Amino acid sequence: MDQPIDINRKEVRMPTNKTGLARVLRSDAKGLLIGAALLVALFTVASILVDGFASANNIRSILLLAAFLGLASLGQTMVATIGGLDLSIPFVIGASNILLAYLFGTSVPAPLALLIIAVMGAAIGFLNGVLSYKIQGQALILTLGVGFAVVGGAQIFTTLGSQYSGTVFSQVPAWFSNIASISGTTFGLQFPPVIAIWMLVAFTLIYWINRTKSGRAIYAIGGNRTAAARLRISEFRTWVSTYTISGLTAAITGCLLLGFSGGGFVGVGDPYLFTTVAAVVVGGTSLLGGSGGYGATIIGVLVLQVLTSFLVGMGLNYAAQQTVFGLLILPMVALYARSPHIRYQI
Amino acid sequence: MLSNRLSHLWVPLGLVLILGIMAAVRAPQTFTYVGLAGALLVAAPLILAAVAITPIAIAGRGGVDLSIGPLIGFVNVTIVVWLSENGITHPILVFAYAILAACAWQMLLAAFIIFVRISPIIASLAGFMILQGVNLVILSRPGGVAPEWLGNWGWGTELLSPVLYILLAAFAIWFLFQRTAMFQHIRLMGADERTAYTSGVDIIKARFAAHLMAGVFAGLAALCLTGLIGSGDPTQGNTLTLQAITALVLGGTSLAGGKGGITGSVLGAVAMYLVFVVLSSFNFGAISGFMTQLLYGLMLVFALLVALVTTAPRTRAA
Repeated sequence: MDQPIDINRKEVRMPTNKTGLARVLRSDAKGLLIGAALLVALFTVASILVDGFASANNIRSILLLAAFLGLASLGQTMVATIGGLDLSIPFVIGASNILLAYLFGTSVPAPLALLIIAVMGAAIGFLNGVLSYKIQGQALILTLGVGFAVVGGAQIFTTLGSQYSGTVFSQVPAWFSNIASISGTTFGLQFPPVIAIWMLVAFTLIYWINRTKSGRAIYAIGGNRTAAARLRISEFRTWVSTYTISGLTAAITGCLLLGFSGGGFVGVGDPYLFTTVAAVVVGGTSLLGGSGGYGATIIGVLVLQVLTSFLVGMGLNYAAQQTVFGLLILPMVALYARSPHIRYQI
Repeated sequence: MLSNRLSHLWVPLGLVLILGIMAAVRAPQTFTYVGLAGALLVAAPLILAAVAITPIAIAGRGGVDLSIGPLIGFVNVTIVVWLSENGITHPILVFAYAILAACAWQMLLAAFIIFVRISPIIASLAGFMILQGVNLVILSRPGGVAPEWLGNWGWGTELLSPVLYILLAAFAIWFLFQRTAMFQHIRLMGADERTAYTSGVDIIKARFAAHLMAGVFAGLAALCLTGLIGSGDPTQGNTLTLQAITALVLGGTSLAGGKGGITGSVLGAVAMYLVFVVLSSFNFGAISGFMTQLLYGLMLVFALLVALVTTAPRTRAA
């Protein structure tokens, strides 16, 4: 007899209690597994093909750049988990970068300057969340608009009374550039503290997301809003706090990038516009919400950074790297973020 | 019902009127014969880019074509490097190439969205990155020469220029397209894909059609851009992506799908051009670029919130 739908299709099959590889490949760990395998494969190939790829120096620089991308992608991951996108991240990074450089040039003490920028970033994120709550489908455009406004405002503020536009010159305190520069040391060890900071933040975040009620609420909202509402989880509070965290981490990334480069430059955030989304997607967090996580994004960030370093080692320029990134996204998404066929959505 | 269907146009229309009056006061030369001809030439690529992404947005699934800018750039550099340098400069061939190349890319994008079933925004994001790189590989820095007849468009001294005819042709194509059943299918699919599918709409064909229309307009936009700059530029197109999306949203087309039209997108693009005109009439010196950025951002947020306020009561009543 003809079945109305093909019962052997993956989308309609009942979950079985198969063990072993088949079960792992259907679980949430699939993304992590594929990502980790890709990372190991990339690293092996690169070490064979590029001289000095596995040297301590190169690994240090990969990790340093990964720390910046990782912190910038933190907010993007959280926002993607609840089904949104935050395109204001690169603009907040650029704005906080030049504003911090500007504050270092005034008599404001450095710790206070950092605090001001962090609060500003969180406030922008809060604004993003509140304004986009009612128009969640258009959140990416709204955050883009807020981002434009923020970066425009920050540049007007820092340019008034200065003849240089877009660049701010000031003295960055030595202890601050030690945190994020390639020659920085952590308690005498030969790696910049920002890598340790990134790991600490990552562990805290993953613990919070997996082990606390407020962390699980993010997945509940991303998975099914009606069900989450029945559990008395406030969608508004989760949505707004997620965007606030995104704004805060973007601002912190902008500050750390000032320590890395030593001079304020508003365009410093620009490469992060689509790279943060790429890191989230390559890691395996679905942009539809409800699955994935920061652990996956860390893998995604490392894959992108190892790949970048590999491509640079092979003599490819920025343009060619972008093409490879783009070509990488499609199969990764096809592996674990395909939506079911429309006939199974009814 | 007409007022209901056109209600999303009040915001962009108001913006254009206010900015138009400001421009008339601050920069009266804009509204002379030569001024208008120049304005038309400069604004045409953005207007056509905004028009191009409109059918994709109407087709729903949060579809916003991020790759539109690099696509226009791709057609621009390939006209210069592949056609012009090999002596292929006949207008019919160049027109056909531009439109076919853009349509081919849109078909590819649509095929990925439909058959691989990945969300449109990711497909177009990957497309953005791929084309951005490919453009720089084809032409590493701005240069080359456009076919002579195309480069001559860049004088911009005549109002009755090919650019005007292209814009008029684009509007004519759209308004004919709006009368077809296929357009209604696309709108229904954008508003509710499941309903469309269960009502027997061929959603595969409808999505391909939406992308095909986008390809036609993107090809025309690339021709106007090539005429404007008279050469090839691998990065100029990229900035068009964010500008076109801004114009689309200012024009009241919802990214949620099923609503909107090119009239709004055109008004949105004109409003953005007028902001630029008004701001450059003030002497902001070093910060004028930042003022433009700030105002674009505020306009975007404002347009979204106004659309929210004006549409909310009606959805509640329904």
